[in-house]
Amino acid sequence: MLQSFRYMAPRTRPELLDLLAEYGSRAKLLAGGTDLLVTIRAGVHKPEVVIDLKKVEGFSGLSWSQTDGLVFRPTTTINEVLQDARVRKDYPLLAACAHDLASYQVRNRATVIGNVVNASPCSDMAPALLCLGATAVLSSKSGERRVLFQDFFIGVKRTILRPEEFLERIEIPAASAGVKGDYRKLKRIQGHDLGIVGVAVALKGGKLNIAVSSAAPTPVLVQGLDAGIAVEAAVEAVAKATSPISDVRCTKEYREFMIGTYVRRLLQEVRA
Amino acid sequence: MLEKLKAEELRYVGKEARRSEARDKLTGSATYVSDMILPGMLWAQVKKSPHARAKIVKIDTSKAEALYGVRAVLTGAELNYRLGLYVVDKDILAKTEVRHYGEAVAAVAADTLAIAKKAVDLIEVEYEVLKPVLNHMDAMKAEAPLVHPDLGSYDFMKAAFTPQPGTNVANLTKLRKGDVEAGFAEAQWIVEREYTNPSVQHVPMETHVAIVEWKPSDDIVIHTSAQSPFTVRNLFCYTFKLPLNKVRVLIPHVGGGFGGKAGIHIEPLVACLSRKAGGRPVKFQATREEEFSLLPCRSALTYRIKTGVSAEGKILAQKMEMFWDAGAYADYAVNVTRASGYSAAGPYHIPAAWIDAYTVYTNKPYGTAYRGFGHVEFFWGLERHMELVAQAIGMDSLEFRRKNLLVPGNLTLTGEEIFESSGNPRKCLDAVAKSIGYGSLTTEEKAREKRTGRKIGKGVATLHKAPAMPPFTATAAIIKMNSDGTVNVNIGLTEIGQGSTIAFEQIVAERLKFRLDQVKVTIEKDTDRDPYDWQTVASKGLLLTGNACILAADDLLAHAYETSAQALHCQVVDLDHDDKRVFLKHHPNHGVTFTSLALGYAFPDGNAIGGPLIGVGRYVAQGLTNLDKETGQGNPALDWTFGAHGIVVEVDPATGEFHVLKISSAFDVGKVINPESVRGQCIGGMLQGLGTALCEGYIYDEAGHLLNPSFTDNKILTSRDLPDEIECIVVETPQLDGPFGARGVGEHPMISVAPALGNAIQHAVEAELTHMPIRAEDVWRGIRKHEPVDNWITKTPTGSCKSNVLL
Repeated sequence: MLQSFRYMAPRTRPELLDLLAEYGSRAKLLAGGTDLLVTIRAGVHKPEVVIDLKKVEGFSGLSWSQTDGLVFRPTTTINEVLQDARVRKDYPLLAACAHDLASYQVRNRATVIGNVVNASPCSDMAPALLCLGATAVLSSKSGERRVLFQDFFIGVKRTILRPEEFLERIEIPAASAGVKGDYRKLKRIQGHDLGIVGVAVALKGGKLNIAVSSAAPTPVLVQGLDAGIAVEAAVEAVAKATSPISDVRCTKEYREFMIGTYVRRLLQEVRA
Repeated sequence: MLEKLKAEELRYVGKEARRSEARDKLTGSATYVSDMILPGMLWAQVKKSPHARAKIVKIDTSKAEALYGVRAVLTGAELNYRLGLYVVDKDILAKTEVRHYGEAVAAVAADTLAIAKKAVDLIEVEYEVLKPVLNHMDAMKAEAPLVHPDLGSYDFMKAAFTPQPGTNVANLTKLRKGDVEAGFAEAQWIVEREYTNPSVQHVPMETHVAIVEWKPSDDIVIHTSAQSPFTVRNLFCYTFKLPLNKVRVLIPHVGGGFGGKAGIHIEPLVACLSRKAGGRPVKFQATREEEFSLLPCRSALTYRIKTGVSAEGKILAQKMEMFWDAGAYADYAVNVTRASGYSAAGPYHIPAAWIDAYTVYTNKPYGTAYRGFGHVEFFWGLERHMELVAQAIGMDSLEFRRKNLLVPGNLTLTGEEIFESSGNPRKCLDAVAKSIGYGSLTTEEKAREKRTGRKIGKGVATLHKAPAMPPFTATAAIIKMNSDGTVNVNIGLTEIGQGSTIAFEQIVAERLKFRLDQVKVTIEKDTDRDPYDWQTVASKGLLLTGNACILAADDLLAHAYETSAQALHCQVVDLDHDDKRVFLKHHPNHGVTFTSLALGYAFPDGNAIGGPLIGVGRYVAQGLTNLDKETGQGNPALDWTFGAHGIVVEVDPATGEFHVLKISSAFDVGKVINPESVRGQCIGGMLQGLGTALCEGYIYDEAGHLLNPSFTDNKILTSRDLPDEIECIVVETPQLDGPFGARGVGEHPMISVAPALGNAIQHAVEAELTHMPIRAEDVWRGIRKHEPVDNWITKTPTGSCKSNVLL
């Protein structure tokens, strides 16, 4: 069935907050649309109102400051992240995750914030944000809330966002610059595919963070491991934190094996 | 019609020539049925079954009918027509029982697509859900529910097929050659294995679409994205009992077929909607999800092979059992069974052979033709089997293959003699083996293994295929000269991307001795105006239509010479011509131009002779026979195109992940007409074959719901999945009855890619794979000797699948 909805394109942040206050869960926010249009077509979402964020002043691009760190806004695209020189230099794990997300064409439209508010267990950006200690800044008419990403996801396609709230900024601490890390994603083809499992590893200042996608109802973070931890202890810590299932893409057994293998290989790589 | 012309005398055949339609396609200006909107046109939508097997208790269409803008609503109860290519087993809309998930149960035509969609949602269907039979091996059991309890009452093509009423067997093809038991008794080794693969989807870029106008006069116009205009017309008229000249089928550019558009599909339903809507044109286009279940797929197969081998490594006897999963309707699957049955042993000499090939009904979307027509599926098993037999007897598999390849003087499974001119499988196999450096690793490859920790393996696989077609398959070509000396060529064969249009232009230009730009083969097909062609299938177009084009060119020249002889007061035998004139050989300045002959030659005083120049070429396959239904003996093969693939693969021995480093493919095409077209087919087919080798396959839950009817979980390959290196090799052993010696190569590149990959992986990490596709997990299990995962009917339908939402 075709869905009918009203399309609205606020120009300012207060206008947007008003609309969210008015429509709440009857509205869906549109940025890249690479997830939203697919789910609307499939009838998963039947919004009464679609609110386009692309025309809101100050919602685009990315920036960096010593105080706020690296900041992504509601329409910052994956390709903008990939093309940013600072990201490539100081936040290689972000670039690695962004590069594995879908295809070049999709990355032209898809946004970082869209990828995380969608809250798919197989989000490619979540592992990097989790590992790097990123903060989500949630805004509504009643003000701002700041949460770490490990507190943001609460279930398959579920986040702590309230109906009248939106994710306005992602802040990656300046202190996370220079973190060594990489991402491995198991796919069915070399071209764009959803992750069967994805593992990100980040190492800095004697601490080791590991994040895993497609291995639990939400992307999972194992943080603050000792940088010198025995490989098998790290593998075990990750296995304990994850609970992969069998589905049409893969069996539980192979997912478990591949998570362990990727952890081992990534550790060897980042410690090298 | 082999022309004994030396290569250097050929001006167009075998030379590069650009496809005339490419520019329109690349700039988006070529018109497809998908693009078309006709005046007064309505939009159709289909109500589909969410169940694999259920009784239809009640259908209430009243709300849909009451919706403003709805012009016609149809259910199966009012359509007393049955369809079928070979076994007439399918209702246009399900009547009392649905037989597969996604089957059409009602349909609507409305002023807009949105209204049609809403109307379909308003149709209420009450079902009594029944337990489906999903696995084709289960369907063979005596206690299995019958998908077609009335099979015994269905009409079917008796010369070729044998349905078994009271069972789920839509057809049993048998072949008996020599004494198999004696062969096994004599054998030093007997190896018996089973190989399987699931159903897959063709995935044409343009989904199935048709616009049909059933006028009050009962004149019917069908615009459709189809491969075979005359088969659509023929089956349509058979179903509706109409004279052939009342139905006109028009086919513009087609966005891919791959066999999925070979027969007739949505056209009858759309026609009935048009009739009910008072004759307004009605358009239906399938969504991508509908391509997966409303429309047909490629059949799953279970293939058991038992081979007896002598001490010297010669095959003495082979017993083969095929179980083809037809799905709910027989469609092409019965003929896939037949054609695979008589080719089942590949390009090898099997002195004693025994084959039973079953087409089995199940409660799943039905199978149809797909590039390779069964050969992709059974060659997976056959060429893996050759590898495993070689391993079992301790012989190198390339050597084992060489020892058993068909050579001139051998008889095929059906008793047909192989000649030098039949083609050369040995040259193809040797060429790919050489190209990949079979049997050892180079220094570079060894260094790479050391550097990466991954293992490199090399494997080969052979292939062959003859067109699966009636022995009397016919076609024709008409060449019409225009007043400026250019010609238009009309043929009934459709351009579905294979590039045969440019090949025919080259053939006609060569034969007429014209410039290539003087020749245009019409792309759009029209059954009212084009001459008959059976179907655009089977890799037979180049040979049959190519010959018809040569004959039409000869006919056109004969008429031109006849008129010229009168105009020049000479004998035909003294005439020659070039691209502009017909002239006296011994007085080349004395001649007449084609422009003056084209519409009839007029003397200076105005008297005229001849009339418009038209050449007609008719061709029908020669020397073929029906097969004996008990023994499978006879001459079924127009031509055999032999080939081989060689693959170099790099495998992670811990995880089973792998990457294809190189694929080399060789085909004995007889004679290359257009090198780029051959290369295009070679790479396109290889990649399509690699897709079904790597990841494609229908996954169902235990109730028969298709869980992956989209590209989210039914992946196809992308340009990034191309092997690092590709080599396309041609062997040219001229076919005596091929145009300039040519054979078809449309389907062949897709065949045997999977076993070549499986063999290469086995060489790398010793995983014994018997199930296609080969996913990383399958290799991982193969390495660890775990049981393979058969999750095509899965107990764990968890994940992102939203197939029900899209019904």
